[in-house]
Amino acid sequence: MVQSAAILALILPLLGFVFHVAAGRFVSRRTVETAACAAILGSLIGACLALAAGWGQAGSVTLFPWFRAGDFAASFDLLLDPLSLLMAVLVGFISLLVHCYSVPFMRGDPGYIRYYGYLNLFVFFMLAVALADNLVFLFLGWEGMGLCSYSLIGHWFHSGERTAAARKAFLVTRTGDVAFLIGVALLFAQGVDPSVSSIQAQAASLSGGTAALLGLLLLWAAAGKSAQFPLLVWLPDAMAGPTPVSALIHAATMAASGVYLLARLFPVLALSPTVLLGIGAVGTLTALWGAASALAQRDIKRVLAWSTLSQVGFMMLAIGAGDPAASMFHLIVHAIFKSLLFLAAGCLIQALGEEHDIFAMGGKLRHRLPHVFWPFFFGVLALAAVPPFSGFWSKGRVLSAVLAQPGAGYTALALAASAAALLTSLYAFRLLLLAFFGRSARTDALRPESVPGSMSGILWPLALLCLMAGTLDLPGHWGASNWLTGVLASAPGLPHGPEGVSEALVALLDSALALAGLLLALLAYGPMERFFPRIPEGARLWNLMARGFGLDGTYERILARPYRSGANLLWLRVEQGLLETASSGAAALLGRASSGVRLWTTGRLSTYLLMLLAGLVLILLIAAGMRS
Amino acid sequence: MIVPLEHVLVLALAVFLMGAGCALLRRNLIMILLGVEIMLNASGIAFVGSSLAWRELHGQAFVLFIMGVAAAEVAVGLALVVYAHRRTGRLDADHFSKLRE
Repeated sequence: MVQSAAILALILPLLGFVFHVAAGRFVSRRTVETAACAAILGSLIGACLALAAGWGQAGSVTLFPWFRAGDFAASFDLLLDPLSLLMAVLVGFISLLVHCYSVPFMRGDPGYIRYYGYLNLFVFFMLAVALADNLVFLFLGWEGMGLCSYSLIGHWFHSGERTAAARKAFLVTRTGDVAFLIGVALLFAQGVDPSVSSIQAQAASLSGGTAALLGLLLLWAAAGKSAQFPLLVWLPDAMAGPTPVSALIHAATMAASGVYLLARLFPVLALSPTVLLGIGAVGTLTALWGAASALAQRDIKRVLAWSTLSQVGFMMLAIGAGDPAASMFHLIVHAIFKSLLFLAAGCLIQALGEEHDIFAMGGKLRHRLPHVFWPFFFGVLALAAVPPFSGFWSKGRVLSAVLAQPGAGYTALALAASAAALLTSLYAFRLLLLAFFGRSARTDALRPESVPGSMSGILWPLALLCLMAGTLDLPGHWGASNWLTGVLASAPGLPHGPEGVSEALVALLDSALALAGLLLALLAYGPMERFFPRIPEGARLWNLMARGFGLDGTYERILARPYRSGANLLWLRVEQGLLETASSGAAALLGRASSGVRLWTTGRLSTYLLMLLAGLVLILLIAAGMRS
Repeated sequence: MIVPLEHVLVLALAVFLMGAGCALLRRNLIMILLGVEIMLNASGIAFVGSSLAWRELHGQAFVLFIMGVAAAEVAVGLALVVYAHRRTGRLDADHFSKLRE
């Protein structure tokens, strides 16, 4: 039962993709849309059934063997434990909403077959990452997601800017994937079968150095997919794709997959405290980096993109603090509110005729689009971690996990994470105040009727979940007893929740940070704006933040530009300069050499006949000479 | 054979050279075809003469072949000439030099 439901959940999106590719052009648009949504709905039902049927116990199923080379064998097998099935349910749920949202959002788009095909394939690959036991199978999903994100970010491929963003996402995540592959090879070299279950079972047999190296490789791989510190540049540009795709990439698939991988292979990471601290440091740095950058953006989708970086940073921090359950809690909560925010932003953008600038939005939107405003409001409250919204509980859980760790390093991380939480609240409310309460609204282009009820209706369940999802893992002193942590702890290798931290204190700190952010945002962007010096947009620091602290520009300078100039050198000097000169020179030489022969081609019949006769005589003379 | 083979060969050579001269020097397409025919017949004379001199029938059989081929060649050649004349209204061989370019 568990097995067949899980297989169904995995296979249905793939079948959907095959259907679109094979039959998409012969059936009506409505059929394609229905098939895409139905595949994901079936997948979600399968995942839910598998989760419910195999409650709290781990199982595994082998679909079929893949290849075998010497001692190395890879097979398509699934590891069905609470962690993976929960992830599958989350992926299915968010993807289903995104698919349903896409139907009205992409109406009129001529490339809809390609769009739905890749969307289904994307979900399949993410489910493969979530459920796979064998790391090579997992890598297949991992790489497949890279491919699908490339195609979907560059969906409108007529615009050079968008294809550049797609290319960048592909290349940067590929940089991370190399580390994954090396990690698999390293595991194999150490005699550990590269599969999740055997890693969970045999992690303790690895030597400290190997475990640390492996942990760093996994961190690098996760940083690529989850857009963490050194490899974070692709995610803000990935906004070029259609908005539902952004929601999918940011909420449940790409950005989450790195964190999920670390949570899945946590037993390896747990062997090396240094690696854990490193993961925490990378996460915290990204959280700060993303939050500060989000503060200075004008494009609504870019605010949300930088916010994703920052929130994923919090998840990484939780992993670094040795509490993957907290990380998964925040991942689930974040998936809900971030998909909500993105889908609501898509509604706004369509209602305003492709306007992305939050300064061009304003108070009118609140009244004209109440069905977008209220869900968006809920999403912002969850993002800013205002109690009792879900973000409050999950962020509090992360912070208490960090505080529970001894050592000055973790104390510093906790301080930095608190600063990031404050910034998060600040930019979340800045976004809300500018987009829905601003005065300077250029809302002539506002057409509320271009947001059909089928689009804004999808926001409401997510908005309710923003409010409710915190109950998944209410801390102990609130009566409930860390339900999610309890479920995940039954998976092998995942430790229990934080102990010995006053959770009430953390909750107080967390809500104080959120309210401080709200206050600051109100002062700077709210009704009291006149009495308070506004943060100067356009100041030097502000510009730096708007450009994401110039990391993108640095990569452009030290990597992309030298590469391009090297390629130009090869193109202009070596290919055009050297090779083409050589070949055209040879051609000219041959031409000059044959110019004498060319004179014979007079075009006069008699000349040819004469030559024919002369040749004949010559042949006869030679024949006669040879005979005698 | 009462005529010596040498005489026949000299005759054949003379006719052949006349035909070659005609084909080379004339510009008219029909005259060139005529010259080619004469050259073919000159070789026919040489074949028949040698056939009689050596008492071999192969030579005479060859001549029959040459006649057949020549008839076909003239048919095709004249058709080409007629077509060329229809297209351009001229029969000057030097006029048809497009292949050069």
